[in-house]
Amino acid sequence: MPAESHNTVVRLRDIHKAYGSGAARTEVLRGVSLDIRAGEVVALVGQSGSGKSTLLNIVGGLDTAEQGSVEVLGTDYAAAGDERLSRLRNDRIGFVFQSFNLLDHLTCLSNVVLPGSFARGHAGSRKAVKERGLEVLGRVGLAELAARRPSELSGGQKQRVAIARALFHRPQLLLCDEPTGNLDTETGREVIDLFTDINRDDGVTLLIVTHEERVSNTAGRVIRIADGLIVEGEAVLEPGESDPADEAPARPVKAEGRSA
Amino acid sequence: MMSPGRLARLVGHNAVRNRRHFALSAFGIVIGIAAFIFFLSLSMGVRGWVMQMFPIDEVEIIAPRTSLIGALGMESGKRLDESVVARLREHDGVRSVVPRMAIGFPAMGVWWYESTKLQFDVVGDGIDPGYLEGDPTAPLFRDYEAEEKGKQLAACGPAPKYPCPSLYYCDKRDLTCHHRVPMLISRKLVEIYNTQFAKSRGLPVIGAMEEFIVQRGGLGKMRLHMDLGASMVQVANLKATPRRIEGVLLGISDKAIPIGVTVPIGYVERWNREYLGEDAAKTYSSIAVRLDSKDDVGPFGTYVEKQLGLRLQDSQGQQFAVVIFVVTLFFLLISFCIVTISAINIAHNFFMQVSERRREIGLLRAVGASQADVRGMFLGEAALIGLVAGIIGIGVAVAAGAAVNLAGRQFLPELPFQPDSFFAFEWWILAGGLVFSVLFCLLGGLLPATRAARMAPAQALVQQ
Repeated sequence: MPAESHNTVVRLRDIHKAYGSGAARTEVLRGVSLDIRAGEVVALVGQSGSGKSTLLNIVGGLDTAEQGSVEVLGTDYAAAGDERLSRLRNDRIGFVFQSFNLLDHLTCLSNVVLPGSFARGHAGSRKAVKERGLEVLGRVGLAELAARRPSELSGGQKQRVAIARALFHRPQLLLCDEPTGNLDTETGREVIDLFTDINRDDGVTLLIVTHEERVSNTAGRVIRIADGLIVEGEAVLEPGESDPADEAPARPVKAEGRSA
Repeated sequence: MMSPGRLARLVGHNAVRNRRHFALSAFGIVIGIAAFIFFLSLSMGVRGWVMQMFPIDEVEIIAPRTSLIGALGMESGKRLDESVVARLREHDGVRSVVPRMAIGFPAMGVWWYESTKLQFDVVGDGIDPGYLEGDPTAPLFRDYEAEEKGKQLAACGPAPKYPCPSLYYCDKRDLTCHHRVPMLISRKLVEIYNTQFAKSRGLPVIGAMEEFIVQRGGLGKMRLHMDLGASMVQVANLKATPRRIEGVLLGISDKAIPIGVTVPIGYVERWNREYLGEDAAKTYSSIAVRLDSKDDVGPFGTYVEKQLGLRLQDSQGQQFAVVIFVVTLFFLLISFCIVTISAINIAHNFFMQVSERRREIGLLRAVGASQADVRGMFLGEAALIGLVAGIIGIGVAVAAGAAVNLAGRQFLPELPFQPDSFFAFEWWILAGGLVFSVLFCLLGGLLPATRAARMAPAQALVQQ
């Protein structure tokens, strides 16, 4: 039965990943299993080089596991070809990166509507695309900067534009790789608040890779990874365990009682 | 895969953004395509020009030569006579058969020109007047002597002389007025006169023949004496004594013998019979055969050699065509090399771009671009370079062609059949150049585009 029917958005089993070969071969992930339910905010924490970003990339289909199974939003990555995975990333997964990854030659609005260029089927008229772009820019509070170029923005503003781009196609899963890593404390807090709002208002599932405690404190579940293994946190749903999301589908699961 | 419209927008955007790379990549292609179109159009233009002068759908058949006498088509056993003409006329794909008969005995020409008496041995032949159909000189190129046969001719003697009308001369044999023998010369002869003879002797060059005739007082003044059976060198035994006839130079014709004069064949038959005998009056020096298609030349040549035991005179048109083909091939090879090097340059530039744009590629993959989208984007940029460079190349070639034509008109002497343009910018050459340009750019962009498409997105995104 597809994992999604249980509202399990991400289902990883026994994921192995290594880089290099021969003596230089480094095992980054050594049998990681993880379930993430719909609407959850999961923080993946660990030291640099622990394998958390690699795990995030594998979940997003930007990298491939050498061993193990990956099932995201009902799509079995082993069976899906490049076209199907690309479509999944375009339609249902959003990415937010530490270094924003905005294209400097494009305006903020053009950056935001970039996923629309790769939409399969009819993506709507240019006017509709522009309106959606302005809508998500408005959502992150930057509608008035639509015509600006990224070079004219502050770090926090750039990250908000990147979040708007990730939201363009109304994703079900948002994958964030150190989203506050390049921001000062205050700006980082604003970005975290934005994630919290997105999770609460839109029911978007968030998997956030971070090494900052203030970020992990906002998550409903914290998974700690070290030396390619999950060493702390409830990673896998036990067989027969009642899934809270089954009782309240699409309801955001928000961390409570934690301070930022 | 993304829609063509979105791909085009993305490609256009990237082209504008990377215009420096774009211009660098396009430069070599512009030069290569311009050279390709320039030389191919020049070749086609010059080929058309040469074919007009020396049509290769027309071949000239001669008897195999083994001796000097054979050169006159009198080789025993392999004679060109009426039976050969009849067989040729029956052959499939033959449009017309026109025998030529050389004047087989010596003759000396005398021409008073610019107060100078020019004397020269005459080389000449005869052709059927019907062969000149459509030629401006055709109405006057007739066998007047045959037409006058049996008619009462005006007397011009005995002394005191009675003057003959214009275009007539007094034949000393019967003291009657005969029409002057119509004569034609070739453009080649005029060119030789202009470039070799006139220059060294301070004589005026001949421009347009019609103007020349008018300037000299009309056809009545284009008189040439010809002493049949006489020569400036020793004369072999002939059957008749020398006598003088008069000719009138009608003008220039492509059907005329290249060096010498051409008259209606009836005159030559009678003169050959008079000075050499019956055989000479029935033996042709060559037979011009025009075929329905130039593609038939090869098989027809085989038929002539194998079945008739005769051979084809090397056609000047074919010789020119071969020279033009070789020269064209050489320049096309150069163009091909330029375009190939440019394609390699494009590949190099694109590899650099793929390297520089790793992070962008990673991002595009993250927001939903498939491998095919990334490959399509780079190939689209390569194709756009090819298209723009091709169009500019066409423009450069046409402009260079116009400049060459202008220079040709200003600096080259007037040439026979000189065309308005030396270039034939056929639509298929231009379209071919454009396709060639796009294809080579696509070829150059293929490997880098494939590398970009296969790039692991996660690794691309971590580029610093």
